[in-house]
Amino acid sequence: MSEGLKIGFYRPGPIVPAQSVAGRTLMLLIGIMTFLSCVTFGGVLLVQKSAVGWSADVGRELTIQIRPVDGEVLESNIRLAISLAEAIPGVAEARALSLEESEALLEPWLGAGLDLSDLSIPRLVIVRLSDPNAADITRLESEIAGIAGAGLETHAAWRVQLNTMAGTIVVSGILVLSLILVATALAIVFATRGTMSTNREIVDVLHFIGASNRFIAGEFQGRFLMIGLKGGAAGGLAAIVFFIAVGMAINAVMPEPSSAQLGFFFGRFALGLNGLLGIAGVVMVIAGLTAITSRLTVRRFLLQIS
Amino acid sequence: MIAFENVGLRYGHGPEILKDLSFSIDPGSFHFLTGPSGSGKTSLLRLLLLSLKPTRGRVTMFGEDVIKLDRDRLLQMRRHIGIVFQEFRLLDHLTTFENVALPLRVRGQSETSYRANVEELLDWVGLGDRMDAYPSLLSGGEKQRAAIARAVIAKPDILLADEPTGNVDPELSERLLHLFEELNRMGTTIILATHELALLDKFGYPRMLLNEGELVIHE
Ligand SMILES: Nc1ncnc2c1ncn2[C@@H]1O[C@H](COP(=O)(O)OP(=O)(O)O)[C@@H](O)[C@H]1O
Ligand SMILES: [Mg+2]
Repeated sequence: MSEGLKIGFYRPGPIVPAQSVAGRTLMLLIGIMTFLSCVTFGGVLLVQKSAVGWSADVGRELTIQIRPVDGEVLESNIRLAISLAEAIPGVAEARALSLEESEALLEPWLGAGLDLSDLSIPRLVIVRLSDPNAADITRLESEIAGIAGAGLETHAAWRVQLNTMAGTIVVSGILVLSLILVATALAIVFATRGTMSTNREIVDVLHFIGASNRFIAGEFQGRFLMIGLKGGAAGGLAAIVFFIAVGMAINAVMPEPSSAQLGFFFGRFALGLNGLLGIAGVVMVIAGLTAITSRLTVRRFLLQIS
Repeated sequence: MIAFENVGLRYGHGPEILKDLSFSIDPGSFHFLTGPSGSGKTSLLRLLLLSLKPTRGRVTMFGEDVIKLDRDRLLQMRRHIGIVFQEFRLLDHLTTFENVALPLRVRGQSETSYRANVEELLDWVGLGDRMDAYPSLLSGGEKQRAAIARAVIAKPDILLADEPTGNVDPELSERLLHLFEELNRMGTTIILATHELALLDKFGYPRMLLNEGELVIHE
């Protein structure tokens, strides 16, 4: 009875020893490479997501600046600007910032307890667009220009700059990612050749007892696929932990308002679902790369020695 | 089954190790390959195992010129040949059972299909209670028998054995020889390299005597 059970659960040992030094080194290396790839990927994704989000938010708002001009009544110019703006299709709302709001905005730069009524500083009208694409910004611009001392700030130049910067970061990230993958492939080639040489005796014995190259390659590939999957999973997991830790550290270290601002910029360091899917994708790519590279290397090695 | 015509062998650019060998071996025969150490016995067995190609002359096995074999044909042919290495060459990380089963495993057979056969063979060579032991725990004689079991498990047509009694006491030597006799009786062609004169005398099989790479006797 117990004999039968033992036989039932018997599984033959792996032909390539599981515990080979090259295997562990390779697993560590793949883990590190996966971690670097995931961090690069995650970083690029965060920058890109934040830039798109920020650019869209900023694009939804225009600012009209009205400077006090001698001989003009500032308050009536403000009312004129509001009514002109609200007449433009695609504009949801136009609202003048009160003196207090302007003071609050300037407080970080000029200090508290400031009385703006003593200074002749420009007043701001915030124009919120319901649909940035439909709004006729050019018409608004020319109409506002008719008011003495008034100007329209569309943030367009700033957005172009933001998008260029984000684009540069994305392209550099993709370049770095490709280089990491190439380096990983090269390292796998060396590690595979090393492992094959270490296990040369096994390869020879297998040949002598009638194993085909295909069979031998399969045994080695199986090992490398496992190494790739394990190393990749470890690296991916470490990257996720890294992003969570950085997010928490930022929340802990930064004072509340600036942390909120940074969170806004970095998407609260939340990778989101597509970030996690992307990391899973990077892990799969690296495991696949390991399997394919080692397969080709093993084949080459076997052809060379026979 | 095997025919050599003026075969010569050298390693790299070294001297000729085997010189002008011509002989043939019939199916079902049993030959002792003998000669002093360094006379070329192992090299000749490597030619027969198709792990070396002759540098001159012609080797024919199973009716085919070995120099012309492609990779697939060479593999097929090797599957008809069993080998017992002088140094056993068991795989240290596999148990006795797994080592002996290896030739069947590399032929794609499943463990359930061969388990009973392997166990029976291990019983037959007296290793029935050492199946789960690793080679490092086996005595010289036990390793020898495991190596022999691995060589015959796939029922080869030709069995090559390189000094299979070199590491065991005379009593076990004789028992192993009886084992080879038994295999030969079942139809396996056997070429057994040894330099133990006592065995040669006790078992009167035809001899091939090598001396400095030349075949001086072929009975
Ligand atoms: N791989 C090799 N490279 C070069 N010389 C070798 C090699 N193997 C064996 N020899 C030489 O071939 C000769 C015959 O060796 P071998 O075939 O092992 O003889 P035996 O098995 O009868 O002792 C020896 O002189 C040995 O040094
Ligand atoms: Mg020898």
